[in-house]
Amino acid sequence: MEILILAFFALGYLVLAGADIGVGMMLPYLGRSADERRVTIAAIAPFFLGNEVWLVATAGVLAGLFPELEGELLSGNYSLVVALLLAWVVRDMGLWLRGRVPGGRWQAFWDGATVLGSWGLALSWGSLLSDVLLGITGPVALVPALLVAALFATHGLAFAALRLRGRLRERAAVLSGGAGESRTYALTTAALAAIGVLAGLRLPLEPGTSGPLLVPVILVLIPFLVAAQGWVWWTFRHRVTGPSYL
Amino acid sequence: MDTVDLARLQFALTAGAHFMFVALTLGLATLVAVVQTRATLSRSPLHLRMTRFWGQLYIINYAMGIVTGLVMEFQLGLSWSGLTEFAGNVFGSSLAIETLVAFFVESTFLGLWIFGWDKLNRWAHLALIWGVTATAYASAFWILIANGFLQNPLGHRTENGVLRIADFGAMVANPAALIAFFHVAGGALVTGGFFMAGVSAWHLRRRTAEQDFFRKSLRVGIVVALPATLFTATFGGIGFQTLQPAKSAAFAGNAERLAQAQAEMVARHGPGDYLPPVGLVQAAGITMMTVFAVLLFLAALSFLLMLFRPVVRGFRPWHWLLTALIPLPFVAMLAGWVFREMGRQPWAVYGLLKTSDAMSPVSHAQISLSLTGFAAVFAVLIVTNYWLLARAARRGPEAVTLGERPVRPPVLAY
Repeated sequence: MEILILAFFALGYLVLAGADIGVGMMLPYLGRSADERRVTIAAIAPFFLGNEVWLVATAGVLAGLFPELEGELLSGNYSLVVALLLAWVVRDMGLWLRGRVPGGRWQAFWDGATVLGSWGLALSWGSLLSDVLLGITGPVALVPALLVAALFATHGLAFAALRLRGRLRERAAVLSGGAGESRTYALTTAALAAIGVLAGLRLPLEPGTSGPLLVPVILVLIPFLVAAQGWVWWTFRHRVTGPSYL
Repeated sequence: MDTVDLARLQFALTAGAHFMFVALTLGLATLVAVVQTRATLSRSPLHLRMTRFWGQLYIINYAMGIVTGLVMEFQLGLSWSGLTEFAGNVFGSSLAIETLVAFFVESTFLGLWIFGWDKLNRWAHLALIWGVTATAYASAFWILIANGFLQNPLGHRTENGVLRIADFGAMVANPAALIAFFHVAGGALVTGGFFMAGVSAWHLRRRTAEQDFFRKSLRVGIVVALPATLFTATFGGIGFQTLQPAKSAAFAGNAERLAQAQAEMVARHGPGDYLPPVGLVQAAGITMMTVFAVLLFLAALSFLLMLFRPVVRGFRPWHWLLTALIPLPFVAMLAGWVFREMGRQPWAVYGLLKTSDAMSPVSHAQISLSLTGFAAVFAVLIVTNYWLLARAARRGPEAVTLGERPVRPPVLAY
């Protein structure tokens, strides 16, 4: 049961936050002007806080149920995890700060931070996953890392196509072709989940000793957490009609 | 500096940066929730504008709290795998509950509160800010349960050289955790109250257009700050009974008690240096107490002055003083935290695991590089965010973008 709980949060992160990462990576392609970029960001704005927190929950589940693996996994991939965290911070700050001061240069700078941070996140995840999955490290790991990054980007485009309208939607649907954006999104979701599951199978998933106490607590909590997130999805189920707060 | 010192410095910088922002987050969230309740009950446009203005400042600050919090969440596994391996089965459960009960729900609801401003029923919107506030306190609670365990391990037993939970209730009922929780929660309200009063006083002194707005805000700030200061001090006082012997001896600067604490530790754990850095612990403790005395005196004085409307409108030296006080609660919070954490050294888990044995097997070069990276990024972000916070505070309620209906750009209206 411990493993299922870990998988639930880790896969939830990859699929949900993966779309935010992908939209951030493709921001220069989707939004050609400051206004277009703002509308593009509105596609992910209401979700990104609630999405990234799935990784925080994954870290919490690791700390509580797999404390030994937590230490091995994080300290064993020290520099990659640090790169991932720095990219995450830069991406978030780009999103938060872009609208704080009017002016093209300020916005362009923080949009740049969002793009850079999103690529950093995607490539760090790609390197981490290829290390865990294939045991490849060093410069060669860049090849599988780029593949994973491309998957995030495609996933983000599909999500953007589902959320945006008009010209922005057309741009985002460039890879969907005749298949339609829902099907592309389902496909990239399945691919991300498959990579997550395969990586998980390669990890020494030996639970610690606090499972008998924590597992029931977490199982009771999960429906409430999903309901809270479901409220967000329901509230923002329609396509974006204009810029949001960010 | 050796590798352990670098890792400790990295943890201290991350935790310190995080603590500065969450202290204000916790206090301001409560104040925003109270103001929004008033606005929702009375439908008063003034209180609605107050909610949006203080809410905007809250969010600017929250964004920094969350990004430093993300890094915090991974610090233990990154640099202190010796600690997670030895004690993770016990205090890790508290961290897990924190991420799920608190962090997860807080972020989800906050996103809904910000972006759902005009999309939701006003009662649902009010429930969200209270949800965010309650989970923020829940977060502080479970983090302090974890921290309290490291300060004063309770409810565990040792098996195969590592700890496991023996009595979860005893771990949660740990006085070193509960008293600290009330102390920190009170400190957050002090920080939020003085912040609201200080920003309001700036506008009153400058005679900006929003006299009524800031007269009311100043009163909310002071009405919260005075009892919160007393509440914080009460639990700080009770907390002195839970201090480790070496910490309280260092605070008192009592050489005899220090020697006694050292001798007791040597008798139990073998030869070694078991004293914390005495000068630093004492300085931090004295700083916290001095700032508290200043804040209590000025909060009480302000409470009296606040009762006279002409004074609130026109007593400029007092306005100036209140604005100048904004940083002081932060100083007290950080000093108190240094006192608590430095005072338990050299232990990571008091009496069970030394800090030097808690580190991950990572190299000096790796830590130097990550420390440089985190320090550089956080320095830029902290300066930028405090500048933005001050800017948004100065520009007043007219410039607030939170909760305004954005105009649709014509280019996309097809």
